This record gives sequence, C-alpha cells and structure tokens, in this order.
Amino acid sequence: MAFLALQLLIKRAFLAVPILLCVSALVFLILRLLPADPIAMSLPPGATQADYDMMRIAFGLDRSLPEQYLIWLAKLLHGDFGGSIFFRRPVMELISKALPATLELVSFGFMLGVLIGISGGLGMFITRGRWGEQVLDSSTTIMMAIPEFLWAILLILFLGVLLPVFPFIGRLAPDLTLPASITGFLLVDSALSLRLDLLISVLAHMMLPALALAIGIAPLLMRVLRSSLLETIHEDYVTQARLRGISENRIVIRHAFPNAALPTLSLIGVQGGFMFGGTVLVEMIFAYPGLGNLMIDAVRNHDLPVIQAVALIYCVLVLGINAVVDVIYLAVNPRLRLKGRPA
Amino acid sequence: MVLQARNLTVSMQVNGEQIDVLRDVSFDLQPGKVLGLVGESGAGKSMIGRVISRNLPKQFAVTNGSLVFEGRDIIHGADTLLASLLGKRIAFVPQEPLTALNPLMTIAQQFGEHLDRNGVAHAHQLEWMINALQEVRLLDPKRVLSSYPFQLSGGMCQRVLIAMAFISQPALVVADEPTTALDVSTQATIVQIIRRLQKDHGTALLFITHDLRLAAHVCDHILVLYAGEVVERGPARAISKDPQHPYTRALQAANPSLDGPLTRLPSLPDNMPGISGFSAIKGCRFGPRCPVGDSICCNAVPQLREIAPGHWVRCSPACQHAEPSTAPLIEHAAIRDNGAVILNATGLSKHYESPRNWLGRRDGPGLHAVRPMDFTVRAGEFVGVVGESGSGKSTLARLLMGLEKPSTGQISLDGRDITDTSQQTTQLRLDTLQMVFQDPQSALNPRRSVEDLVTQVMESHLKAVTPEARRQRAQDLLRETGLSPELIHRYPSQLSGGQKQRVNIARALCVTPRLLIADEIVSGLDVSVQAQILNLLLDLKAQRQIALVFISHDLSVVRYLCSSMVVMRHGKVVEQGPTEQIFSNPQHAYTKALFAAAPPADLDCVWPPEQTSL
Repeated sequence: MAFLALQLLIKRAFLAVPILLCVSALVFLILRLLPADPIAMSLPPGATQADYDMMRIAFGLDRSLPEQYLIWLAKLLHGDFGGSIFFRRPVMELISKALPATLELVSFGFMLGVLIGISGGLGMFITRGRWGEQVLDSSTTIMMAIPEFLWAILLILFLGVLLPVFPFIGRLAPDLTLPASITGFLLVDSALSLRLDLLISVLAHMMLPALALAIGIAPLLMRVLRSSLLETIHEDYVTQARLRGISENRIVIRHAFPNAALPTLSLIGVQGGFMFGGTVLVEMIFAYPGLGNLMIDAVRNHDLPVIQAVALIYCVLVLGINAVVDVIYLAVNPRLRLKGRPA
Repeated sequence: MVLQARNLTVSMQVNGEQIDVLRDVSFDLQPGKVLGLVGESGAGKSMIGRVISRNLPKQFAVTNGSLVFEGRDIIHGADTLLASLLGKRIAFVPQEPLTALNPLMTIAQQFGEHLDRNGVAHAHQLEWMINALQEVRLLDPKRVLSSYPFQLSGGMCQRVLIAMAFISQPALVVADEPTTALDVSTQATIVQIIRRLQKDHGTALLFITHDLRLAAHVCDHILVLYAGEVVERGPARAISKDPQHPYTRALQAANPSLDGPLTRLPSLPDNMPGISGFSAIKGCRFGPRCPVGDSICCNAVPQLREIAPGHWVRCSPACQHAEPSTAPLIEHAAIRDNGAVILNATGLSKHYESPRNWLGRRDGPGLHAVRPMDFTVRAGEFVGVVGESGSGKSTLARLLMGLEKPSTGQISLDGRDITDTSQQTTQLRLDTLQMVFQDPQSALNPRRSVEDLVTQVMESHLKAVTPEARRQRAQDLLRETGLSPELIHRYPSQLSGGQKQRVNIARALCVTPRLLIADEIVSGLDVSVQAQILNLLLDLKAQRQIALVFISHDLSVVRYLCSSMVVMRHGKVVEQGPTEQIFSNPQHAYTKALFAAAPPADLDCVWPPEQTSL
C-alpha cells in the first residue's frame, strides 16, 4: 500500500512538471499581451521619462518576452518569485503571509463542507420518502441557487449584523496581538503558544467565510451521496446482508455507505480545487488577508510578478489535492491496489 | 414440517385492480428434503423466496393463504420474529455470487459479521471459518479469508456464500438459481456441495431453478410454476419421467437432449404472459398457448387433481394425455465436407500484453486469449465453439469479425486475405459476415424503432434507398425471423426477451450475409424461447444456406444445431471435429469432464458424479 502510494505520488510529481510549465507559460503570455503598463501605474505623478526607463530596466521589462520568461523560470527554480511592482517587496514575502491564511481557511471550509455534505446526504437517504428528505432536498436547492459570494453577504447580514454571533472582518480581533510567527498558520501558532483567547478569536473569524465556502460544495456532495446510496441499497450484497439478518443501521453504515462514498470521494477532489477559486471573492468580502485578496490587489494594479506567482500556486494546490484524493482512493478501494482473480 | 404453504396468493394492485401474480400455491417441505420450484422467468418462482424474507417489490402483497415456518406464521408474525430467524434458522444462497459479497470487505470481515450475529466469540471465529470453508472444499481457506470478492472466481464466491448459509445450522436454506451464473463444471461441484451439506445437516432446501432437468436430479419434490400458478406438483422422479401437464411436457421437450436421435424441438407459440396480461386470461393461464387446450379450460381455472399419490396436476383430464405430434428428424451430416470454404483461419492467435508500468516495463507475461489455431467454416455449415468462461471463445468471435487484431495467423474470406482491418477488407467482411451479440438488451439502441434497428446498415447508402424500400425490407426481415411485421414501430423496451433476440438476428440478416457469428445468443433466454430461436436458425440454414459460428457453453444446444464443433479451454483448442463423433467418443479429458458435468436426461444416472474436478 505505502509503496503503491509512493509510486503514485512520484508519477504525479513527474506529470506535474509539464503541466506547471504550460500553466506558467500561458499565464506569462496572457499577462504580457494585455494592453496595460504596470510601471506607469505604479509611478507617482510627476515622474520623468528617465525614472520610467530606470524602473523598466530594474524589473527587466525592457527585454524580449522569451528572455523575460526564461529569467523568471530560472529564478523560480531558486525559490525566487521576483519583486512586487506595486507592494515594492519580494513576492515570496507576500505569499508566505497570505498562503497559510488561505490554506487554513480552505481546510476549515473544506472540512465543514464535507461534514455538512456527508451528514446531509446520509440524512436525506435515511429520511427518504418522508418529509425530512423534502426539507433537506429544498435546502440543497437553495444552497446551490445562491452563489457563494452572495452567501457571504447573507451570512454577514444574519450572523454578523442582525444576530452578532461571529466577527466578519480580518483574521483576528484588532485588540489582540499576534504571537511571534512560528508557522504562519494562526490556528497552529496560537495553539502552540497556548493562547486560548487567540485560538477562539481566530476560529470565530474563520467561521463565516468558511461557512460560505462550505455552502459552495456541500449541496452537490449531499445529492451525489444520496443518489449513490439509493443505488447501492439495491445492490445484491446489500440484499444478501439483509437476508443474513443484519440490522438496517449496520447495513447502511458498514455495507452501503463505504461503497456509496467512492463516487462522492472523486467529487470531493474536484470540488476541493474549485474551492480555491471561491476564496477570491469570499476573502475580499470578509477582508481576509489571504491569497485571494492578494490576487485581487495584484490584478487591480497589474502587479505582474504577483499575479504569475499566485496563479502558479493555485495550480500547485489543485494538483496537490488531486494527488491526495488519489492516494485516499487507493487506500479505501482494494480493487485499485490488488490484482483481480486469475483469468 | 419446516415450511408449509397453504393457498398462498401474492397480488399486485394496478389502477385499483388486483392481479394475482402468485395464485393459490400450497406445498409442504419436510426436514432434510429438497423442494424444487421450477419455472421460466416471470413464472413467480422467486416470489416465494421473497415472501419468506418479506422482500416483496412495492405494490406487491400477500393477499391470501398462509406460510408457516416451524409452526410460526411468517407472513403475519412480527418483524422481530423474522429478524430473529434470518441468518440463523433461514439462510439464502444467491444467484449471482460475484455481486452478492461486499466488494470493499474481505471474506473474513463478512463471514465474521455473520458469525457475530450468530453469537460466535471472536476468539473462535477463525477456527469456525476455516472449518466451514474446508467443508465446501476450498483448498486454501486462509488465503480465501484474506481475499476480497473480486480476487475470487464465481465458483469460489458461491462456496463462501454456501459455507456462510450453512454455518448457523439453519432449518431451511433457500437457493435461488445458485448455479445459473456459473460454468457447467462449477455447477456440478456447487450442486454436489449444497446437496452434501444439506444431507449432513438435515436441512430442508428450497431449490429455485429454471432447469427442469437439473431440478429432477437435485430435488425430492418439484413444483412447476407457470404465470404464477402451480401447474404440476409431485415427486421429482414422477414428474421428470412422466410429466402430465402440457406445459411441463413442453418445458421438458424444449430442452435439447444430450443423446438419442435429434428431432426438431417442439416450441410453444408466443411467450408466457406478463403480469399485465394475467387479468385478460379467464381460465387456465396456460390456455392461450396450450397445444391441446379446449374451450373448457379457457373458461374456468382447472383445479389441481391428484392423479397418483402426491402427484397433482392442474389440467382437465381430456387435455392431459394428448401427445404432441412427432417432430421431424434433423440431419446434420449431409452439409459437412460438401460446401465451399467461406472462412478459413490458420495459425490464428491473440495475445494481450500486460500493461506497461510507469518505468515502461511489463508487469507480467500477459494473457494468451487464443493460442494458435486453425478454423474453417463451409457454406451452410453450423460450427459450434464450446468452452467455459475464459476459454477464449468470445475472443475468437471478435477476431473473426475483425473487432480484434490477431497477434499471429491469417484469416481469409472466400480465398481472399482479410487479416488486416483496412477499410477495404472491413467492407468485404461486412458484406459476408455479420455478428449477433449476446445480450439484445444492450445490443439494441433503446431510442431507435425496430424498423430503424433492423435496417440500420442501409443508412450508409441512404441516397440509393427509398423510405418505402427500407420499410419493405424491415417487414420482410421481421417476417423471416418469425415476428409480426406490425412490430416495426415498436421500441426495444416494448418487446419481450425472445422478440428482442429475433430483432437482433434480423438486423444481422439485413445484408444477406452468408455467415453469422453468434456469441451466446440463447444463454439469457428461457428454454421455450431458446427452442424458438434455435429452430429459427435451422430454418435460416434451410432457406438461405447460411453458415453459422455458434459460440456457447451449452453442449446440448451445440449438439442440436451444429454439425461440427470446437472445444476450447484456456485459449487452446482441445478437441475439434464432427459433432456426433465428439459426442459419441470424446477423446480429450476435458471434453469428457464437460459431458460428465452436464445433468443427464436419464434419472438413473447418478449426478453430479462423485468427483468433478477440472
């Protein structure tokens, strides 16, 4: 098992190289083709042509496109994303602050979404044919009909303003001071420095944006899980288990659910990728200092090095999630790791 | 008494009307005895198992009669009563062993769950499981226990399920077509194992099957069902030796025999009515198809009459003794050696490489699906290809049809080489060769009408074909395959299984091919429908001098149709020659074992033979 998983990850890592090259080239090319001038946008009024030329040379924008691309790639290999034109700081520094914030938020939202999705799907299945299913079914429709950024606003309105349960700006209450950064993940840092007040504040701040993200993935999971449970419950092995007198609860949990969860699992992998896309708007609405907000600032100011870097990181994250889901799939589905019957 | 049914009636509610899908069924099952429920699909034989497990489809309900298990009413008893019986006193052996085990759990986990339920302490479970698996002759119980179902063959899975069924020493085991999905040789072993366990434990067995000949060997008593009604009930020997009801006789006669003179199979007209057709039949439900029926049986349902001690027949005395007309003899030998060679293959083989791993190396030796073989079909000749699953017989069909590229060897058609699958040879092939696929359900596009389906091939030169010509052709083809021309507007879902298979054959006939390749085309059909299709193929031979490569696992069917045959095993031809010669004097041990594994018509032969290991 461990060997197969390792083999799969190595294979994926090899495949990732051409994919990342393609994505980087594509992003690079598209950005250069846009009729906008990041240098002019970042210079103060009254700058001279000489200042402008100097900046262009400093950022290497005077060279040919292939040259620029190769230089960028070469630096990338050394872990250098270049400098931000707008923030006037190394891109690496910006990302090392924003990435943990987004990862934290997405993981929390993801867990929340999967939890709602699976329990909702099971709930819909168990209450099938009764009013409970109707209620849950309508709720999935409502969840799907409203886009996640609108959910973010609705959540702020109901759980932030009308019924002020959760804060909805930033990552932390303004009166609390950050501990020295250990990992950059506030949840981890506050737990490591034994600051319970911090931990609670961080969690409370993540609640609404995570919920908005979770609502983005939960309804589809609910529906897919319900329908695959409905299929699985008619499989021969379920009937046969029933004929052995196994209780209905045990049949659902031990026999139907693990089999029905397989298609749901592949869906979770796909949705995990989508969720990073969802962070862009949700982070902006909640003024959450993550990758999404960084991306929006960069796009607004034509900060090419930052846009390129963030786009590439999104790509790595999606590839990573897919690889992880594949490994989980390998673990839960014996048919993928063992040879079948001899022919 | 283990199980006693009295006037058991199961009904379905359709638009406020009550239709009896199982009418007035009574039987007694004594401890240690085997009762066979015999009938074709739709006869209601599985319904009784479903009544026992309270697993009736929606809208179905028991509306009359009683079913008593060991003195307890299991129809009206509490749910908890049934829950306490299932898996302990009553056990089930399923039809499809491969899908009846959870694919994500090892055998040990599933068996352990069953032992948990039967209160076996964890410490003793391994010992119990190993003993039980040894009892069903699984040679390496520890390996089996640590396997997942997909790592085992169908026969092995069925043995596991049988071991599980008998472990709780149940009073009753219900086996619903336990061997239908298995190979012939495996069938004999499985029947043997079930019989031995059943005898050793004194268990009563309810054996549900479509195969009257098999039931005659396995069962003490038999209940023959037709359209939800018991038509005949009595000792297995008596019914098998001297069936009294016209339906039982027809069922027995429709099954081609393995020895004796070959006569044309008498086949009943039409099909068994579906549930929706029941209410239109006022009298005997077999009446509309009965070869001897008269107006009396069509107006009132005949009562079961006891004609010998314990032998009951639902038929009027007048009908009972009328013999069906004697059928003409079939002569195969004349065709062989006379016709010109249509298809000739020499050194034909197919080897599937195992897939390359990520380093580009191959993990294993691959699979020799077909080892080098020679194969000839003459005009008007029917060639049978016999083998069990994995023998390579379907790959052979695909090679001949050009659906697979041969690894070695040549195929020639009328002396022209068609080994490569270029556009030109493909066209040549399609004008002469047509294939009929196994499962008409999946071979016919459900969204096309019968007319479109059977004349599909004309679409490639539509400009030259007028719609009228196409319709005319469709009607001709339907007539030729014994279907009513009015069916051209129907869709596959509106046809019965036998009708679908005829449409499937009609489609292959559209280009007037000289050779048909048929892959297991009767294996999914009931015997009476099978007889119709077999006769249709013989008629096509007589009318069109069409040749046929008939792939089948069923020896009796091959004997009925084919003048020569090929026996395959693990991709190799083990025996090849004229059919009657192979049947009268098989040379290869495998061929002999195949013959021994099929239940003989003669009840005095002991079957299954004591050791049938292949």
